[in-house]
Amino acid sequence: MSRAGRLAIGTLGLALAVFALAPAGSTAAAGQDAKKAVWDGSRTTPAHLIPLRDENDEPIIPTETNPLPYSARFTCGPCHDYKTIQGGWHFGAMTATRNGRPGEPWLQVDTKTGTVLPLSYRKWPGSYDPKAVGFTAWDFTLLFGRHLPGGGPAEPSDEKVRADPASRWNVSGRAEINCLACHNKSGRQDPSEWAKQILRENLRWAATAAGGVGEVGGMASRLKETWDVYDGPNLDDHEWAVVPSVKYRSVDFDSKHRYFFDLNYQPSDDRCLACHSVSPKDAAQWSADADVHSTAGLKCADCHRNGLGHAIVRGYEGEAAETGNRTAESFTCRGCHLGLNEAGEKSVVPGRLGAPFPKHTGLPLVHFKRLSCTVCHSGPKPIEGFTRVRTSRANRLGIYGVAMWSTDLPVVIEPVYAEVAGQKIAPNRLVWPAFWAKMSGKDVVPLKPEDVEAAAGDILKPEERIARVLVALSQVMAEDEVPVLVSGRFVFAPNVDGGIDASVRAGAKADTPALWGIRKGEEVLPLVPEFDPAAADKDAAVETRFLEFLQALGTVPLAPGQPAIVVKKTLYRLVDGFLEMSEAPAELAEASGPCWLAEGKFLPLGSDFDLRTVTAKAGTEQTLTEEQVALVLAALAKSGENTDFVYISGGRMFRLGKDGKLASKSDAAAEPVTWPLAHNVRPAQQSLGWKGCTDCHSGGSDFFFTKLRGTGPLLTANVENRSAASFMGLGGLFQRFFGLSFITRPLFKVILAVCAIVIGSLVFLAGLLLLGRLAGFLEKR
Amino acid sequence: MLFTIVALLSVVGVVAGLTFHRFWTTREEARSTIIYVEIFKKYLAWLALRTIQSARKASPKAWWDYVKALPSWRLPDLEKWLFIGFYGSFAYLAASGFFFAIFVPRGLYGFPLVGHVMAGGLFAACLAVIVIFKGRNFISVPKPVNLSLALLDPRKMGITAARVKFAAFWLFVLAGFLLALTALLPMLPLLRTAGQRFMFEFHRYSALVSAVAAAVYVDLELFESGRPC
Repeated sequence: MSRAGRLAIGTLGLALAVFALAPAGSTAAAGQDAKKAVWDGSRTTPAHLIPLRDENDEPIIPTETNPLPYSARFTCGPCHDYKTIQGGWHFGAMTATRNGRPGEPWLQVDTKTGTVLPLSYRKWPGSYDPKAVGFTAWDFTLLFGRHLPGGGPAEPSDEKVRADPASRWNVSGRAEINCLACHNKSGRQDPSEWAKQILRENLRWAATAAGGVGEVGGMASRLKETWDVYDGPNLDDHEWAVVPSVKYRSVDFDSKHRYFFDLNYQPSDDRCLACHSVSPKDAAQWSADADVHSTAGLKCADCHRNGLGHAIVRGYEGEAAETGNRTAESFTCRGCHLGLNEAGEKSVVPGRLGAPFPKHTGLPLVHFKRLSCTVCHSGPKPIEGFTRVRTSRANRLGIYGVAMWSTDLPVVIEPVYAEVAGQKIAPNRLVWPAFWAKMSGKDVVPLKPEDVEAAAGDILKPEERIARVLVALSQVMAEDEVPVLVSGRFVFAPNVDGGIDASVRAGAKADTPALWGIRKGEEVLPLVPEFDPAAADKDAAVETRFLEFLQALGTVPLAPGQPAIVVKKTLYRLVDGFLEMSEAPAELAEASGPCWLAEGKFLPLGSDFDLRTVTAKAGTEQTLTEEQVALVLAALAKSGENTDFVYISGGRMFRLGKDGKLASKSDAAAEPVTWPLAHNVRPAQQSLGWKGCTDCHSGGSDFFFTKLRGTGPLLTANVENRSAASFMGLGGLFQRFFGLSFITRPLFKVILAVCAIVIGSLVFLAGLLLLGRLAGFLEKR
Repeated sequence: MLFTIVALLSVVGVVAGLTFHRFWTTREEARSTIIYVEIFKKYLAWLALRTIQSARKASPKAWWDYVKALPSWRLPDLEKWLFIGFYGSFAYLAASGFFFAIFVPRGLYGFPLVGHVMAGGLFAACLAVIVIFKGRNFISVPKPVNLSLALLDPRKMGITAARVKFAAFWLFVLAGFLLALTALLPMLPLLRTAGQRFMFEFHRYSALVSAVAAAVYVDLELFESGRPC
């Protein structure tokens, strides 16, 4: 045989061997994986007394010095395939090929720039891709990690870490999927601790701390970007830049250093509600009802179940067809209660989990065709308009601590009945987006708040400037005194956060001129009292007070000039730390009060713009005035980019006209963002229609005719105003007419019944007559 | 879909039956042969010719003249308005109901639905009055029958145009009763979803029966009395 022939045979033999062995190897691996995923049939949850492993797959000895936090990937992964889980609903948004029915987007809220920007890695209508807006995975994790269960953007690949040198993944580590966030049965599981650790950039430590596995100290956010977890403690700093460290709870370890995890196979409702709570704003906790399913004893995970892939059943119609998971059909309302699939076929076994079969007596069929079950059964009833709610993720609920974490903004409204993707009408939650953007052709590209702030300069900071003055003055106030600014109907006082709080001043008029004062009890006294510097018997204590005020005002950061006080043509100011009194210049002859002295000019303590702005916004939730928006748009236009800049708020798009004035118009980008709601499901007796058709069909029903005004950070009258019917794609005129027809409907029914009885009786008689004659009975008689 | 097929087949059947009846009773060539195929060919030729003739004659003015010539206009006022209400409501009910049922997947909705409901009330009221005051004119007096195999022979059943017209009238009244009933019951808190669905379908088929009965009655009433078409 030639050399070439031997080579060919050898190569062929090698290829055959590889071919023969490869399937065997992969089959064995698949068999092992399958074994982990296959249920042995026992309905018990095994005790999880397992060795902890760190992110390097090294065993953790809790008593060692500076042990690393445990890693779910290597601690849980050996039995529960981590890669499979990574594709789950809660972790796979960035890589998902299917978006599913729209859900709640992440809402970036920044009050200073008036931003309420919906973000989602899933391509849902109205939401922006964080990457397109300029958010890296690092930004996203720090913004929303508080309510992320780890994984996904919080656990980027090595490539992504290298691609974002500005991030601090090397210091913080990555927040792996936090299995305990859902499956921990222990009451030690603490979502608040998770949020705190995320904000401290202790990402790799967060799961250990939140799960109560160990106590974590230190803050990665204070460490230099060059720090590495293998560098160990910072020997030079034990107070500020303290390296994160874990002190494990030793009582939960056995002698073999195995840790006892107290776990649930099905997460308890508390775990779900940590991120998925929704409650009416300002409602008292004791008055809030739970979902009727919860009240009946069901857990969230009874319906929203999943396999190892964590592709959680969301329970909406059409999900089964979308995902190919036919089991999902059983967990829609119609599947569970009626045994119907999406097409209305009786292909599903009804009554799972004891679901009762609804009677729906007297309910016309069109309701089933046009409405989802949740219209009548879910969310608050549309009585007296829409309900403003707060959600965990939008309003940062469920994070407890010394600081107040929850926020009133953004404004989330429900139930807004709207058609979902041309299908049925369903109740939705709604948010009006608000953000600054630049136009790229016809596309609207949102700007990051920090970019807007940088371009806006001082325009967005009138509250800060007023607050700085008041905070400075508060240094020299007596215990019962509070420095205040009185302007219009409001009194502004400094708060503990270094901002200002506005309160209404009883009886004050809107055009009350601004006055810097001191509040003592209920009384507000002027900061500069009636005082005659030229008087022979002047009160020396007043001038001493002036000295204190001027010294305090001298500490105001970024002040436009030297502080001064003008009283009756006399100017007081500090010279070399001493109070100097001189004749006030002619321009201040009529002035009285504190001011700034800058380059020979006298400036008021609070500029007209600042006073006008804070007074206009006082007592409202709005954080921007039209004047501010116009100024910021002008500032953005000067930033160099040759493009149009716009601001979106309250359902309108604002831009500067050629005349320099602010103009608004409707635009698709300003449309509200909606996502269907399904909970809370109300008891049957509280469903719409329980009291009859007029629950919805009446001349002025809230269901159809409640008005929804656009809300946003901008204080303006230019907002969208829509009726509930318009969201359903229905004509208001017809619904009003149709609703009014229900006034005469009882009479109509009576007439129809009488007619039917008369006609039926006569037909019956005619039939009898015919039968009698055919039989010859009538002739005989 | 099933309803659409049944409705179309019914229309075809009624038109074929009525036209064949006219052909059979008015044309001499119908009896010129006993071969079915020949009869059928002659029928088709006649039908095509009449269709073309009718189409040529048809115009809005011709229709308006025809409507004006109807005897209903010469009835006493009360009776006249009763029949106007009755015919008008039935015409709207049939037009709106069948159009939406056959051509609009969503079915009847919006203002046409409101009109349908209102016309339904008017129709039921008019029908009730007509049955009370005119029903007696449609009671035939058949002879008592004797039990024999002759009962099964159509030629000996005594089927005449007049009797078919009476039967069509009572069938129409029966369908009207069912229409009123199937409209009323779903509005009452009595029926569950399955019952509602049954009533919905029953309403449609009752409407189809009433339309067929009306067509037969009108054809026999107008054409048998020798009125121009």
